[in-house]
Amino acid sequence: MASSGSPATAVLEALGFALFLRDESGALTLHGAAPAWLAALWPGLTTTLPVTEASPFLENFLIDAEECWTKGGAARAQSGAWIEQTADGAEVSLEATALTIDGQPALLLEKLGDVFEAKKAMLQHARETVMAYQRLNAETQKKEILLSCIAEEMNSALANAITALRLIEMEKHSARAQQLLALAMRATEDQQALINKVLDVFASELADLYGRHGDAVAESSFDEVLAQAVESVAPALAEKRVQRRGPNKIKTRVAIGEEQLARVLVNLLENALQNSTPGGEILIRAVAEAETVLFEVLDRGAIMPPNAGTNFFSKDVIAMDETTAGQLRLQFCLIAVEKCQGEFGSEPGEEGGNRFWVRLPKVKSASRK
Amino acid sequence: MIQKKICMIGASGVGKTSLVAKFVHSMFSDKYLTTVGVKIDKKTISVDGTEMMLMIWDLAGDDDYQKLQTSYLRGTSGYLLVADGTRLVTLDQIIEIQERVAAAVGPVPFLLALNKADLTTQWEVTEARQADLAARGWKTLQTSAKEGASVEEAFVELGRALARPA
Repeated sequence: MASSGSPATAVLEALGFALFLRDESGALTLHGAAPAWLAALWPGLTTTLPVTEASPFLENFLIDAEECWTKGGAARAQSGAWIEQTADGAEVSLEATALTIDGQPALLLEKLGDVFEAKKAMLQHARETVMAYQRLNAETQKKEILLSCIAEEMNSALANAITALRLIEMEKHSARAQQLLALAMRATEDQQALINKVLDVFASELADLYGRHGDAVAESSFDEVLAQAVESVAPALAEKRVQRRGPNKIKTRVAIGEEQLARVLVNLLENALQNSTPGGEILIRAVAEAETVLFEVLDRGAIMPPNAGTNFFSKDVIAMDETTAGQLRLQFCLIAVEKCQGEFGSEPGEEGGNRFWVRLPKVKSASRK
Repeated sequence: MIQKKICMIGASGVGKTSLVAKFVHSMFSDKYLTTVGVKIDKKTISVDGTEMMLMIWDLAGDDDYQKLQTSYLRGTSGYLLVADGTRLVTLDQIIEIQERVAAAVGPVPFLLALNKADLTTQWEVTEARQADLAARGWKTLQTSAKEGASVEEAFVELGRALARPA
């Protein structure tokens, strides 16, 4: 046991610890000299710590301390940090440890120093970061909702425009006017289809946000959906005189909803069409892999930056107005494919042009419909 | 004089310390200073003509870095739950924390302070959400430690609940 004047007591004093030993009457008596901070906190304290008056925190901790002293041996109880105030308002962070020294209950009070301040600074920084993240997250969600509202507004305006065009179409016009009208109608319908896709993405994101994962078990017949997708873009290919090679048939089911898959495939085909020059060619290929299906579309157009579509929301891409619609199509592919744990990518084709591809997970036999 | 221990409980950064500072010292600072550990303050209030000394235990925010130590709740007569009305996530957190607190201290009175009510443009807690809390039997007050709105009321209301016979 550390006795007054012993080296152990001197060490405790040098470290600024206050050691109290509990006697048989239950009183906690200071052992050795009182550190300056102890005198500043409790000026009236001479040798005995009047716990009840001194600190409600310590009074509460003494219940845990008693438990520890009853166990004896190497048992220890630590209070954790707490703050006391001196008469002039200065705050002092303390920690108490209950332990048994040579069979005698002891209470060690420590004024927390640099290590504690460093820990506190780290916690401060970590908590500020968490709060900044939460604010940013909330802000992003608000912006997404705002964008969704804007898209809804645009959709509504376009619907009105389409109705007006249809009414005009019923009237008699010159051949030139009919041609222009058809062009306007088509452009408007394309825009509306694009906005609907954007709205679908938002709806899907919101479903995720609110924990509705109805699409989690979605699946579709790859070859059937691909055939429909090819059929739907055939007129546009013919109009631009773009030749199509493929696709080959592979009969399998993939783990993505039919509607989502159809849009992904159509978007990739439309993207290839957009990249192609009139009279060009696109190649459509599907490869059945062990657990996935690889679908790729190759065009002969101007080479696009690698992984186009994966950086749609970066400032540089947003600035490219003429390709924004195309980028949006690819962004949809990326989101839809990633949602079903698939992959999406692009790179220059081996023989020029571009190769856009998606890799979709096959449906595992247990969940096959 | 009656003396009652109450605890300030909530996620980090919701304004527990600011509410205590406003209530006890009539002070407010915009600067966020995290609480590590416990700080105890005292203030005497008058509850329907009776003086009551509140011993307010301001506990560190409960988060991934520090969990609420239930030994600090020992002997508490009631508690003030605090959530940040501009961060909906803190309301979800407080619901989970309250379950832990109730398991530790039993059915003692408590009140929820939805703090930072001065930040109206950033407010995220909807009326529907507050109605849901009311349906759970939670008494809720919108407080602002910055402007002092409902701060005194929150503590006095809790004190009143403590004074009522169980």
